[in-house]
Order: sequence, then structure tokens, then C-alpha cells
Amino acid sequence: MAAGLLDIGAAFLVLAFAGAVATRVGLSVVPLYVVAGVLVGPNVAGELGLPYVPTGEVLTVFGELGIVLLLFFLGLEFSIDRLLAARTRIGKAGLLDVGVNFPLGVGLGLLFGWSALESLLLGGIVYISSSAIITKSLVDLGWVADPESEPVLGTLVFEDLVIALYLAVVTPLVLGGGGFEATAGRVGVAIVVLLALAVVARAGTTVFDSLLDGVSGEAVTLRVLGVTVPVAGAALALGVSEAVAAFFVGVGFAGTGHVERIERLLTSLRDAFAAAFFLYIGLQTDPALIVEVALPLAVVVAVTAPAKLVSGFYGGRIFGLNDRRSARVGAALVARGEFSLIIAALATAGGLPERVAALAVGYVLVMSLLGTMLMGQSAVVERVVLRVSERGEPSAAD
Amino acid sequence: MTVYESDLPGVGKKHEIELDDGSRLVVVTHNTGKREVFRREDPDADSEKLFELPDSMARQVGTILEGAYFQPVRTDLMETVLEGDTVLEWVGIDDDDPIAGKTLAESGVRQRTGATVIAIQRSGEAITNPGADTRVEPGDTLIVIGSREQCQDFESEVSGD
Repeated sequence: MAAGLLDIGAAFLVLAFAGAVATRVGLSVVPLYVVAGVLVGPNVAGELGLPYVPTGEVLTVFGELGIVLLLFFLGLEFSIDRLLAARTRIGKAGLLDVGVNFPLGVGLGLLFGWSALESLLLGGIVYISSSAIITKSLVDLGWVADPESEPVLGTLVFEDLVIALYLAVVTPLVLGGGGFEATAGRVGVAIVVLLALAVVARAGTTVFDSLLDGVSGEAVTLRVLGVTVPVAGAALALGVSEAVAAFFVGVGFAGTGHVERIERLLTSLRDAFAAAFFLYIGLQTDPALIVEVALPLAVVVAVTAPAKLVSGFYGGRIFGLNDRRSARVGAALVARGEFSLIIAALATAGGLPERVAALAVGYVLVMSLLGTMLMGQSAVVERVVLRVSERGEPSAAD
Repeated sequence: MTVYESDLPGVGKKHEIELDDGSRLVVVTHNTGKREVFRREDPDADSEKLFELPDSMARQVGTILEGAYFQPVRTDLMETVLEGDTVLEWVGIDDDDPIAGKTLAESGVRQRTGATVIAIQRSGEAITNPGADTRVEPGDTLIVIGSREQCQDFESEVSGD
């Protein structure tokens, strides 16, 4: 009992310290949580013979709750109506984004001689930008007030939907071993369960509404958790992505009149468990493995960072922004984070070769820092883009 | 005045208010309740953050802007513009004003200025369409109609300036 409490206590102490460092040096917290996890975990501190933070059962469950709450919040803020209202612009920018970046990741995986499944995971890892890091940077830099926030946030919403569908399909593929028939059966179950969840999300709004009507803060928190967590657990037991299940529960709650209250009450809970998830990822990661994949990692960064810049730039142009603002859209979308790590955790859970998770962790560390840096130094990016567009396509600019 | 509203998924809501000089006031309301207020000089400029307020303070400042605590209206000299140059003006009468104690006819103010008294507010009541023999008393508020210039003349006439 005391040992478990001490382990969790150490975990939160490390997180608090990493968060303080992040604020001090002006970096995003996500990479620092992960790095802190690597340093205090069995692979670094443990190897050096120092006391280390073990990946206990409690921390694993906390991390799992972090994934569930992250996706629940995506669902909560996901509005089908909003997507439909701006479908042409968000749809075009979103399709461009997924059309460029996802196949690029899959292609790179195949080029490295990875299996089809590993390559499919790499596609997801390089495609999905980090809502957490990007949204925070938008607010910190004051870009939320400017027109570039619309294509950026719009693209993120589109990505959320894609990643929900992606995880729904990929999870049973990764978690199942066995032959083709068994896998096909699991995918079938997954699709049925997800369809059921989608129906529940649509029809459940009235139930959720009455569940939360006229109840006070604590009861709201408990009832939301009392619905979300069991549904996610049941989904996982059926071999369906718990994250996607949580996403659909979030969508169901999004239709109620209680969204703002839920957000206010559960945001700090989500942040704490998400931090535990990032630490958990760090604890699991052996830096030696990242060094082993350094070459493919460098290639992936060198290819996918410019690709995101370009797809983001044209996404901004689809929204009718000028070159300067479009360049910012590209810079903003570079940061990858929590979702790439969720895919990495899935790879580990499914027993795939360690190189997938190791590359994902290394990739997120690089891209989260690169992304925040590009946003902070956007003036440089803008100058480069303006020079290129002046020289390259004088007529297409206007 | 045009107000543009847009959603900021994961952040909150944004309202942009077009100002007379072509710049825009941008109010970002976070899901946490925090308000950030920016000003954007022109469409190409970057928004400059003016200030931010927590929820409760933003509401309080809002009611001040709304005029719930103080209305910048001078009750003794309020004017309303009708079509063209015609204005309605409220003129308060003090003890020492020359017109106090005289009837409208005696004061001859209409002949001299051209502005007409169409009503008199006296101790909570209104005397509409007062006749020439209606006596003006200190504390009255005269409601006057005329051109802007006539009303100005009227005002200086009754106060004896």
C-alpha cells in the first residue's frame, strides 16, 4: 500500500518538477514530461543503479485514464454541425492534410522495410498533429485572435475525426494475433461496436442531459466518469479501441447543455491523467532504442516536417488567407504529440517490434520542440515563404 | 456595427467587433471564462493584446461599459435630433433665470429666437402644448423644438447670457 502510494507520489513529484522546468524555459510540457519519464525510469535511473520510478499497475491505469479523457474531450468539443457548416473549407484543408501526410508515413515505413501493419502505424504517427501543444501555443502567442486560428483549429477538428476512425480500425488489427479469419472477426466486432456507439452518441444526448440536469459539481464529475470509463473499459474488453469509445461518449455529451460545466470541472482531471500518460510513455522508453532508430527518425523528420508545412500552407490558402498567414498555418500544424504517443502505446500493447514505439517517442520529442519553435519564430518562416512565392509563382499569389 | 462570431474548438469563442476607424476589437472568451481583448489595426496586421480579465471581473467591467452604474446624459440639456436640422431640447429653469416667473408671452422668447416651447415638465407632470399665458416657474424643464441654432439661442436667452 505504502509502496504504491510512494511510487505514484514520486511520479507526480517528477511531473510537477518537469512542468516547472517547461514553464521556466518556455517549452511545451508534453516533451518534458516524456523526457522526465525516460530519465527517472528503469532504463536510465535504474540502469545507473539509482532509485527509479517503476511502471506500476496504478500508473498504467492512470495513463490509460489519460488516454480516455484526452479522447473524451475531443469528442466533447467535436461538433458535427460545425464540421458541416464549414465542410467545404475544413473538408478540403483536412483532406489535403491527410492525403499528403498519412501516405507519406506509410511509404516511409515500407521504405524502411517495416511490415504493413508497422507502416500503417507510422502513417498515423506522422499524420496527426498535437491538439494540446498547438492549441496552447495559439493562445500563448495570441494567434487565436487572428484569422490563421480558423484553418489551424479546423484542421485539428478534422484530424480528430480521422484519428477516431483510424484507431477504430487499427486497434483490432494490432491487438489481435492469429490468422486472417480471427482478425477479420475482430474488425467486424469493432465496426459493430463502433456503429452502436455512434448511435448511442446521437440518441444518448437526451439521457445524458437528464443525467446532469440540476446536479452540482461533484455529481457532474462522477456521473461523467461513471459513464465514460466503464464504456471505455468494456470497449477494450471487446478488443475495440477504448480511446474511440471515449470519443463517442464525449460526442454524446457534446449535444447536452452541460458542455461548459463538464469542461470546467474535468479539465484539471484530464491534465493530471494525461501527464501521467506522458510520464508512463517515458518510463517505458529505452533511450538506447531511440538511438538505434536515429537514422530512420532523421529521415522521417526531414520528410514530414516540410510536408506538414506545405500542406498547412495550402490549407491556409483554402481558407482565403494571404501567404504570410498561410505560412503560419503550416508552422502551427508541425507539432506532434499526444496522439502519436497513443499510437505508440498501442504498438507496445500489441507486442509489435519496439522500433515503432521508440521511433514514435523520438519523433514526438523532436516535432513537439520543432513545432513550438517554428511558431515562436514564425517571422523567419514567413520570410522564407514570401520569398519562395514571389520567385516561384507570381501569378498564383493573387 | 457588425459583430462576427466564430467558434474556437478547444479554446472557446471569438467575437470581432468592427470599429469606426476600420480596426477591429477581438474578444476571445475562453472555456475557462477568461476573456482576452485584442485590437487589430487592419486585416493584415497582427492582433495586439490589450488586456485580459477573469470571468467575474469581465462581467463587472461589462456592466460598467453597458452604463448600469453611470449614464453619461445631462438631464438639463438633453437633445434629440429629428429629421433634418430640427432638434428637441430639454432646458432646465433656475431661480435666477430671467424667464422664471414670466408667462411665455411676456418673455417673448419665441419671437426673438424662433424656438417653440411644446411642453413643460413640472414636479413630475407634463403640461403639453402650453398656451401663451402659461407661467414659467423655477424648477421647470422646458421642452423646446426648433433648429439647432434656434434652440441654442433659446437656451442662452432663458439663462440671460
